[in-house]
Amino acid sequence: MMRLSGRLRSAMIIGGQGIRARKLRTLLSMVSLFLGVLAVVVVQAGAGIAERLQLSDMELQNGIDGTKVLYGVPSAAGASQAVADTLKGRQDAVAMFSMNAVIGEPGVRPVNEGGAPFDQDWGGVQVCDASGRCVDENAGKPKGQAIELRITALTGDIRPFRPYRPKSGQWLDFTTTPQLAPRLVLNEEAAKGFERYHVPAEMRITGAPHNMTPQLIGVVKDGDSQPHAYLRLDELTNWLPLDRMTDPSSGYTDVQVALAGSTPVESVLIAKLKALSGGADMSAEPINSRKEMEDQLDLMRVIFLAMASLVLIIGCAGVLNVGLATVGERVEEFALRRAVGTPRAVLAGIVLAENLVTGLFTAAAAIGVSVAALKAVTVVLGPSEPFLQGVEFPWSAGVSGVIAGLVAGILGGFIPAIRAAGIPIATVMRA
Amino acid sequence: MTSLIELAGITKVLKGQKEPRTILDGVGLTVRAGESVAIVGRSGSGKSTLLSVLGLFDRADSGTYTLDGRDISKLPERHAAKLRSSHFGFVFQRFFLLKHLTAAQNVAMALVNGQGWLPRRERRTRVMQALDQVGIAHLAKNRPAKMSGGEQQRVAIARALVRDPRILLADEPTGALDTETGTVVIDALQEATTRGCALILVTHDRDHAARMGRIVDLQAGVLTERVPVLAGAGVDAPTTELPRIGGPA
Ligand SMILES: Nc1ncnc2c1ncn2[C@@H]1O[C@H](COP(=O)(O)OP(=O)(O)OP(=O)(O)O)[C@@H](O)[C@H]1O
Ligand SMILES: [Mg+2]
Repeated sequence: MMRLSGRLRSAMIIGGQGIRARKLRTLLSMVSLFLGVLAVVVVQAGAGIAERLQLSDMELQNGIDGTKVLYGVPSAAGASQAVADTLKGRQDAVAMFSMNAVIGEPGVRPVNEGGAPFDQDWGGVQVCDASGRCVDENAGKPKGQAIELRITALTGDIRPFRPYRPKSGQWLDFTTTPQLAPRLVLNEEAAKGFERYHVPAEMRITGAPHNMTPQLIGVVKDGDSQPHAYLRLDELTNWLPLDRMTDPSSGYTDVQVALAGSTPVESVLIAKLKALSGGADMSAEPINSRKEMEDQLDLMRVIFLAMASLVLIIGCAGVLNVGLATVGERVEEFALRRAVGTPRAVLAGIVLAENLVTGLFTAAAAIGVSVAALKAVTVVLGPSEPFLQGVEFPWSAGVSGVIAGLVAGILGGFIPAIRAAGIPIATVMRA
Repeated sequence: MTSLIELAGITKVLKGQKEPRTILDGVGLTVRAGESVAIVGRSGSGKSTLLSVLGLFDRADSGTYTLDGRDISKLPERHAAKLRSSHFGFVFQRFFLLKHLTAAQNVAMALVNGQGWLPRRERRTRVMQALDQVGIAHLAKNRPAKMSGGEQQRVAIARALVRDPRILLADEPTGALDTETGTVVIDALQEATTRGCALILVTHDRDHAARMGRIVDLQAGVLTERVPVLAGAGVDAPTTELPRIGGPA
């Protein structure tokens, strides 16, 4: 016990002297290891963030993984009503009634015909009837101050299913009494349009007997490149009968129902709709964006992993290089220490002590800095960029960085130690 | 008094590039405690090789090496390291100080070698004592770069003495020093023999050799004892003709 502790203490003292003696060498290998670990962690955290980013864009459009969507509610009479009645006041299922609307001057061709993004021109919009005759919807009208956009009327808060990110103003409040002037929440493209064009506050929807005066209350990011607005279904039904919302002849109508992963509403609703449409088959599809993206994500992970490994190899090469730069000097030191009776095992201890002390200290610093940086980024940017939430510190990357750095350092230290242990002391001292 | 060191038939063959060369050829040598022995001989005659066999830096190819009555010819390295620490002190022509350590730390190197453990306070006492013995206690905090050759060599001697070795091995310790400084160094080495430490000195300097109790001559790996011609004539009288070579190697 005494002997062991004497060896250990000797190794620690000599290692400490070595660190102090070769400050530049120690500093350089610490810098290599620090940057190596930091870079690996950053690269792996970046991979995590990129993955979240891709996924969160898909969530906006398709829905959060694990939820379900019922596409294509039949246009049979009473179907819309059945949907609205079944989902009224529910939070585990929300219906989305989508259609086109025009806000602005009456009797003009909208600046973005067909609801195109404002920097694109989709050209005239053809509307075709059942017999196949197509006409330009806006034939003969002059271009005027009107914006065409997609509107989606909601039976409840859709954000648990599609996490639209608030950009300004408010989101729809479904707890208040409905107002006569429908409140609209715009997406970013629609907000851009209203910023660019000053249009009269008058909204027209095909099939609505009267025009309404919308109020713009907020802007969200919804992942849609078309101008789009969201409103409460119960504020729209004051103006537009429910059945007209699924009327195929009024054009571009679409009804979807977002459902929680397992809700009794699903079977009830499907049963009702089946009855109304004469037994047509329908089912809700589960959302699994992650699985759809898996190939893409795999590729991304491989690329990031390759980057991380490369960075790590460069860092280790640095550590190794710095260690090997002093081999000659160290061989002589180790031979001299053996001459005064230092056992070979203690030489190994010296190398280990030097590397563990500097390596673990540096690694702790690198991991500390990267944990703090990641925390800072998520705290500062997290609220506005939800994809940053739930980004985990890549511990495996950090730890493998540390291990690789230590191995490189120990290797760089052991090569002179092994050489010194192998050659007769006399040979070194003769040189 | 029993002998401290007994070499018998020590042979060292160098398996070189072409044919093996015999560096030491059946060397026999006996050294008693407190005795001082000078090894003289031409350059390349094998003096340093003999010293490295004596100091367990290297092993002989055949022959027996007895230390304190114990055969250590085939001692494993682990035990050899322990013996180097407990029995031997070394001084070389090049001083072999670690330039990143102070004089005191260079001396303490022999104590901080994984062979047993001394508390810091006791280490310091021993180190200062050793530096004091060679007359350079005031340089304890200096690094080698700030010391003269003679001072550096005395640090090396203090390092050799700090563990109170039984045998001091010195390989041309004055080779890189002027005559006067060399004399100071030899004084410091010889002082140790008064405390019962054996001294084996390799030297090309006839005056230094003459100060040793015995002189052995190594020629082409063969060792012969030199009988003093003028026994009792004092240190000033040359005992016999010594091989001469040019200036310090
Ligand atoms: N590692 C080695 N490789 C090759 N030759 C060696 C080696 N070690 C010793 N020799 C040879 O062994 C012989 C004896 O060398 P050694 O150093 O013992 O001589 P020496 O008597 O100490 O000489 P000097 O007085 O010059 O120091 C020399 O011829 C030398 O060339
Ligand atoms: Mg020599």
